[in-house]
Amino acid sequence: MIPLPPDTTTSRRNFLQLSCGWVVAAFAAAASSAAAVRYLVPNVLYEPNLRFKAGRPDDFPDGSVTFLEDERVFIVRQGNTYRCLSAVCTHLGCTVGRAEQGFHCPCHGSSFDDMGKVKGGPAPRGLDWFMVTLSKDRHLLVDKSERVESDKYLVL
Amino acid sequence: MIEGKTSRLYPAFIALGILVSVLTAAAYYRDEFRDWKDYQRLFIREELRRAATPQQRQLAKGIPVQIRQIVLPDLRRVDRCTTCHLAVEDPTYGGFPQPLAYHPLHEQHPFDKFGCTVCHRGQGRATTTVDAHGHVAHWDQPMLPLKFIQASCGQCHEAADNPAAPELARGEQVFETSGCRGCHKLGGVGGVIGPELDRVGGRRSAEWLMSHFRSPASVTPDSAMPPQKFSEPELQAITLFMLSQTGESITGFYASMKVVPSATQGRRLFQQKGCIGCHSVNGKGGSIGPALDDVGLRRKPEWIMQHFRDPQSVTPGSVMPRFGFNESEVLALTEFVLHLRDQNMALNLPSLMSPVERGKEIFRKYGCAGCHGQEGKGGVPNPNAKTGEQVPALVHVADGYTRDELMKVISNGRRQIDAMDPKRPQPPLYMPAWGSTIEPAEIADLASYLFSLKPKGDDLGF
Amino acid sequence: MSFPSPKQAWNWFERTRVGRSVFRVGLPKSNLERAQAMVSSFLLHVQPAKVSRRALRPSTTLGLGLISLYLLFILTGTGILLMFYYVPATDRAYDAMKDLQFVVSAGLVIRNMHRWAAHLMVMFVMLHLCRVFYTGAYKRPREFNWLIGIALFLLTLGLSFTGYLLPWDQLAFWAITVGANIAAYAPVVGPKLKFLLLGGNTVGQEALIRFYTLHVIVLPALTAFMVSIHLWRVRKDGGLARPDESLDQTVNLKLDELPTNKSYGLMELTRLTSPQVGKDPEDEIFSWPHLVFREILLFLLVTAVVLFLAVFWNAPLEELANAVHPPNPAKAPWYFLGLQELVSYSAFWGGVVAPAILVTALVLLPYLDRRKEGVGRWFAPERRTANTVFTLFLIIAIVLTVIGSVFRGPNWGWVKPWAQPPAATEGH
Repeated sequence: MIPLPPDTTTSRRNFLQLSCGWVVAAFAAAASSAAAVRYLVPNVLYEPNLRFKAGRPDDFPDGSVTFLEDERVFIVRQGNTYRCLSAVCTHLGCTVGRAEQGFHCPCHGSSFDDMGKVKGGPAPRGLDWFMVTLSKDRHLLVDKSERVESDKYLVL
Repeated sequence: MIEGKTSRLYPAFIALGILVSVLTAAAYYRDEFRDWKDYQRLFIREELRRAATPQQRQLAKGIPVQIRQIVLPDLRRVDRCTTCHLAVEDPTYGGFPQPLAYHPLHEQHPFDKFGCTVCHRGQGRATTTVDAHGHVAHWDQPMLPLKFIQASCGQCHEAADNPAAPELARGEQVFETSGCRGCHKLGGVGGVIGPELDRVGGRRSAEWLMSHFRSPASVTPDSAMPPQKFSEPELQAITLFMLSQTGESITGFYASMKVVPSATQGRRLFQQKGCIGCHSVNGKGGSIGPALDDVGLRRKPEWIMQHFRDPQSVTPGSVMPRFGFNESEVLALTEFVLHLRDQNMALNLPSLMSPVERGKEIFRKYGCAGCHGQEGKGGVPNPNAKTGEQVPALVHVADGYTRDELMKVISNGRRQIDAMDPKRPQPPLYMPAWGSTIEPAEIADLASYLFSLKPKGDDLGF
Repeated sequence: MSFPSPKQAWNWFERTRVGRSVFRVGLPKSNLERAQAMVSSFLLHVQPAKVSRRALRPSTTLGLGLISLYLLFILTGTGILLMFYYVPATDRAYDAMKDLQFVVSAGLVIRNMHRWAAHLMVMFVMLHLCRVFYTGAYKRPREFNWLIGIALFLLTLGLSFTGYLLPWDQLAFWAITVGANIAAYAPVVGPKLKFLLLGGNTVGQEALIRFYTLHVIVLPALTAFMVSIHLWRVRKDGGLARPDESLDQTVNLKLDELPTNKSYGLMELTRLTSPQVGKDPEDEIFSWPHLVFREILLFLLVTAVVLFLAVFWNAPLEELANAVHPPNPAKAPWYFLGLQELVSYSAFWGGVVAPAILVTALVLLPYLDRRKEGVGRWFAPERRTANTVFTLFLIIAIVLTVIGSVFRGPNWGWVKPWAQPPAATEGH
């Protein structure tokens, strides 16, 4: 394209006003777009809550390993310490079951020891431990969104 | 030139751009600055203030500012009350000013399973105070005033069952003895002169109900219902009972936990299962098993419970069958049997009662007192009725009717009531045809009872 | 180093390879470029390179058609956003509306925008129809475009009606129940039409999903298609109707008589239905930037108005739809209230015959009216009869609508809107 000389002239005031107008319009467009994007970010989720109450501490006898089916976790109590172990196999996500010693996955044969470490089978890593705290009304509060090391547990 | 004309529009261009930006900002402002965020920040500040250890400080700092909700698919609702009411489970906030106060008595009905609105009503999905509390247009269920809270127990539990809801039990008692059923159906049983009451609690407010009891015509023009003479406590109780009739269907997990194992439930089971066939109470009943009157003195509660679970395990060779009661039923039956001596625990088994006693129970059950007065004594107004502008008393029916005539009137009803003054409107109350509701045998017992109402030695010689 | 102005920055960009690959004509700096900007642009080429001074004046058309189009854009944008949260199921729709109001950021404002833009669009489409009538712009050669316009009007009503049901509250449910019942009064096909529309005999889940499908894809697609043809026909029929149109003549020129001072004379094709070579358009103004700027300004104005309404007034949301508790009276949406008033006199004459006559009259109008006078002028005296008849019908329609909306109460009886309502007995 051969640029031709411009055949109309604009005054400085007009130029400034028009530029100003476009800047404002661009800002308005940006603000509206930002609002639309924020709109699309959900503020509430209807998924099951990752934090849940497992029950009262006394519901779990000393030395017990209790399976909570709906949440797919084990509550492990030893003396006054409470832990929560994930029952989801780290291989492909099946639910592991209790074995003589530790846990065993029925799908592909992964086996884990009492502390969730892999003993055998295709599982790439040990079972997850979840954070356990005590709620204000003295229930065990499990937070599946927070993974911890096995040496972090609730002591009452 | 036209260029000049267009440039005259540039200021308008800027102005409109600013206007759109300002309005977008205003819309955003409405979303960002919400009451619930202020309450949450208040809570976080309080938690920080109370934090004693660094770990607690860490926890308090980490509390996110976000909408909290309890999703209850079985109750078909979502409650967002905990967005502002953040400390409902924390006893250390007892007595704190709302919305951060502690909510006691939630052990039996944990919030994550029951939410809030199933008891307190209101609009659970809302996140502003006024909307959430439900006192807005187009929301049928505003929050229940706290003094009526026991009404919500009646949605799941039987009214008389629950020792924790005495007002509700009282309300039901007032309802049954005042004869409301004579005109209104509840639970499918009752008369047809007034509307059915199964959903009234969900549709009417406490104020409306109380006004209605005091003066029906003031809230329902052309109402046939006479003003009710309740004392203040009775009025509160029956209003509460009416509020409990919401017609909500309770399903699944909630239905399975409905029954409070109380003595009243135990009595119900006792009546249903026919225990009186083998055991006797007050000298009435079977003699295959022992009399039950003093079993509470002779046996420990644990023994009684085990006996209900498995009779042979505590009494080898017993012929009592295993009924397969669940734990709740075992508890209820045990409670009942331990309270057999209680005055209020009258068995009310038709087979054990005389016709007059049965008739009295039928008189109460179908609410005849609502029109004919307590014990048929009359006194209920029926404007313009020839019978002294009142519904006739029944005390002297024995003199006016033969047994068959009386049973026929009860069965066929009397639709046309003679008016005193033909120029005035028809009397609003009439006798419904009870034959489609009350069994012939029951009508016979009712007649026996009504005949017995005649005061002794009062032969008027008609 | 001083910052370049936006214009300088743009000038630099449009000379880069990327810039040149996207924008075939840069920001116009000469008249040639101004003409090229319109003709070689996908979005802009539906408009001519030059327009008359008259076309730029607001009083010519009041911009009503453009406003309707902009409202359609706003509705589409907000509608798509709403689709991310709304679920067309009877047990979820109402809850989704409450969620939009209470937990979705900007949800309330976007829903409000959608509602107010919808009502405004129905109103402005009607106003646009009136304008076209009063300026005689339906006459030859614009008859077909008028028909397309009628079709668009009906599509607009359809879009509004189908959208009305989606909140699934008492207002929605009963308005559609009334509307469907009015449709059922049509002879022979009426009941079948209602059955097809509702996917059954009652307004329920089937009706909701049908209305949703119609509302989000079928009717919008048809509308977009028809709008494209509508705008195309405006160009092909010779642009906005002008008073001196009938004086236009095609000119046959020999090629060697072409004026030599303008190399882009071919682009100045605006009149009649085919390119005009050799005509001198000295009284015409470049669309870029003059027309385009005014159009952008109008869009900002429409957006500002819709946003203003949305920020300060909430769209209605009544109780959850309840088939057992009809409100008394149950009213159709406002644009059908006149019809509902007529139906209250006679279902057949009011609900079937009257609207059928109306639509037929509108459709046949340009073919029955063969007089060439009065095109392009508001309320031309030569058209006094036509204008009077139309105005009469317009007034009747407005009066009927007003009666239906404020003068009718329970059981469709007369009420005085200024009188106090009776002491409200609760319950529904």
